[in-house]
Amino acid sequence: MLLTLAFASLIRHRARTLLAVLGVAVSAGMLLDMVMLSSGMRESFRSLLLSQGFQLRLAPKGTLPFDTEATIRDADSLVALLRARPEVERVSPVLGGQLHIPIGSSTVTTAALGLEPAVQGDYELVEGTHPVAAGELAMNDALLRAIGRRLGDTVTAAAGYDAQLRGLSGVRTLRIVGRVRFVYMAAEQRGAALPIATLRMMQGADATGRISLAMVRLRDGIDADSTRTLFERLIPRVTVISTSEAIRQVDERLSYFRQLAVILGAVSLIVGFLLVTTVMTVSVNERIGEIAVMRAIGVRRGRIVAQIVVEGGAIMLVATPLGLALGLGTARYLNSILSRFPGLPERIDFFLFQPSAAWTALGLLVLCGLLSGIYPSWRSASLQISTTLRQEAVG
Amino acid sequence: MPQAILVALLAGVMQAHDVRTIAIDERLAADAGLRIGDRVVLAATPESAGDTAVIGALVRRGTDPAEIARGEYRVRLHLTQLQSLLGYGDRVDRFAVQTRSPAVTDQAIARINDAAFGFRAHRSADIAVETSTTFAVVSRFHRAIGVITVTASAIFLLCIMLLKVEERRRDVAALRLMGISARTVVRSVVLEAAAIAVLGSAAGVGVAALASVIVNSHYQAVYRTPLRFSIVTPDIVLLAVVLSLALGIIAGWLAARRLVATPPLTLFGR
Repeated sequence: MLLTLAFASLIRHRARTLLAVLGVAVSAGMLLDMVMLSSGMRESFRSLLLSQGFQLRLAPKGTLPFDTEATIRDADSLVALLRARPEVERVSPVLGGQLHIPIGSSTVTTAALGLEPAVQGDYELVEGTHPVAAGELAMNDALLRAIGRRLGDTVTAAAGYDAQLRGLSGVRTLRIVGRVRFVYMAAEQRGAALPIATLRMMQGADATGRISLAMVRLRDGIDADSTRTLFERLIPRVTVISTSEAIRQVDERLSYFRQLAVILGAVSLIVGFLLVTTVMTVSVNERIGEIAVMRAIGVRRGRIVAQIVVEGGAIMLVATPLGLALGLGTARYLNSILSRFPGLPERIDFFLFQPSAAWTALGLLVLCGLLSGIYPSWRSASLQISTTLRQEAVG
Repeated sequence: MPQAILVALLAGVMQAHDVRTIAIDERLAADAGLRIGDRVVLAATPESAGDTAVIGALVRRGTDPAEIARGEYRVRLHLTQLQSLLGYGDRVDRFAVQTRSPAVTDQAIARINDAAFGFRAHRSADIAVETSTTFAVVSRFHRAIGVITVTASAIFLLCIMLLKVEERRRDVAALRLMGISARTVVRSVVLEAAAIAVLGSAAGVGVAALASVIVNSHYQAVYRTPLRFSIVTPDIVLLAVVLSLALGIIAGWLAARRLVATPPLTLFGR
């Protein structure tokens, strides 16, 4: 009976109910997007950092990994020291640089990572084999396309330019043995991976014993943050970054988006709340006579309050699935815009769908729907029956 | 002009002391408690001995959006001083070249690139476009959010107007029974809707101006920059007023048309 009355009341004003549902759906969609934005970016970044299982990163003092061209000297002894630690399961030293590949009359420049293929965590092999031997390298699709080569081909690559001799420096002939996908590179960024010893030789004497970064995987059960503190004390010439510290730094840099998400999410919720409250208040005002008659024939006050609350809740409930679908669609669109940030790793999503985000949005909306029925239902419940009936009869 | 002052300052201090001078970020000075005239040791790596330098100037961070998310400190040194500190020899990362007139810029770029080996010349405007990609992305994101907000506002406004007009069912019925034409009723409702829209937009502009002040003061404090994050320009105000006026008029017209299409006695509930 309660549901039938609430349904009849909503159906009586179809246009109004439809607009209210649409309004709440847009608010719900926006709310979901903002909940996804506020938590998704962090989760996406965390899963990216942990995707290869390395919890710590050692960078030159005062820098973030690959934020500058600074390198760590005497890195071989540092890597040996780390590998000897009981907490450490695996260490992957990485040297960054550039390769210049002459193609016809022009030169294609690419980012290059020198690493130890057996322990690396920077790329995933898509096809072929890892570049293990001195004359081998692996490339991503963007680079293969740019130079028009395939697996098995050989290329001539240089690590730099010699301005005085007007020639390329550190030239090597390398065979492409693998097609890879770099984990931390941007979508269209060209990249090549080769053994760290080869890249060091190509870069010359300056690069001997240097690395740009060391990634450390800890044994199961070892706490990353306390190990980070320990390593920073043991090796003061490097900055040790744990996953939580990296996330904190990214949070700091991108706090704007999180705060925007909180503000817009709150605004969406308020708009939805106001909309339903307004619709319900006007609806109650219109039905004052009807409500007074119901009270006069013995319908309990609580029953009338429940009917108004059910009406508000019904609008929210119908609008929420619509809003969630709308939110997922707009999140995909907004994510496609933000994914064009220069240098952003391909796998980072600003809007990451998590069931918890949907439940949070749903919970807030249901709460909002219930709250929005409070004022109108209080108004309907506190009507003076005789006065209202007389006013309604006289008109 | 600030550059000229900085150079003059540096030159003055250079004459006064034998130790070379540097300019540091105002933020670094505040955080490290440094002042002009203080001596500091600069080193390229934590383990190296480094050189002593005197702080000759404090530099305020510019209103460059590219710098807002970068939390690191900046130290400006004489070129040779930094080259020697880093063991860079006579290497530089880039040159800035000022041409005699914009007309010869293309020619200069072509000649430099013909002669260059291992580097390329680019027009400053092209570099600015390249480096502002981040802000183009943020701007597109804001525009998309704006479209969603406008859609939500339009539905909200339409709903409110519908309710406002429906509240006046009896007034409209009385007017119609008195012989007032449907056209006049529609016009009066539309006029009322327009008035509400204009008043609402005026209030909205006030709220936006206040929000802008709060946003600017908050983010200027967070990022420690004089950059203005939110500005309410006459163009934006005009767009908002025109948009809400149009939406108000459409919503009022739709609601009024619906009302006058209903027989007056039905509106009275008879």
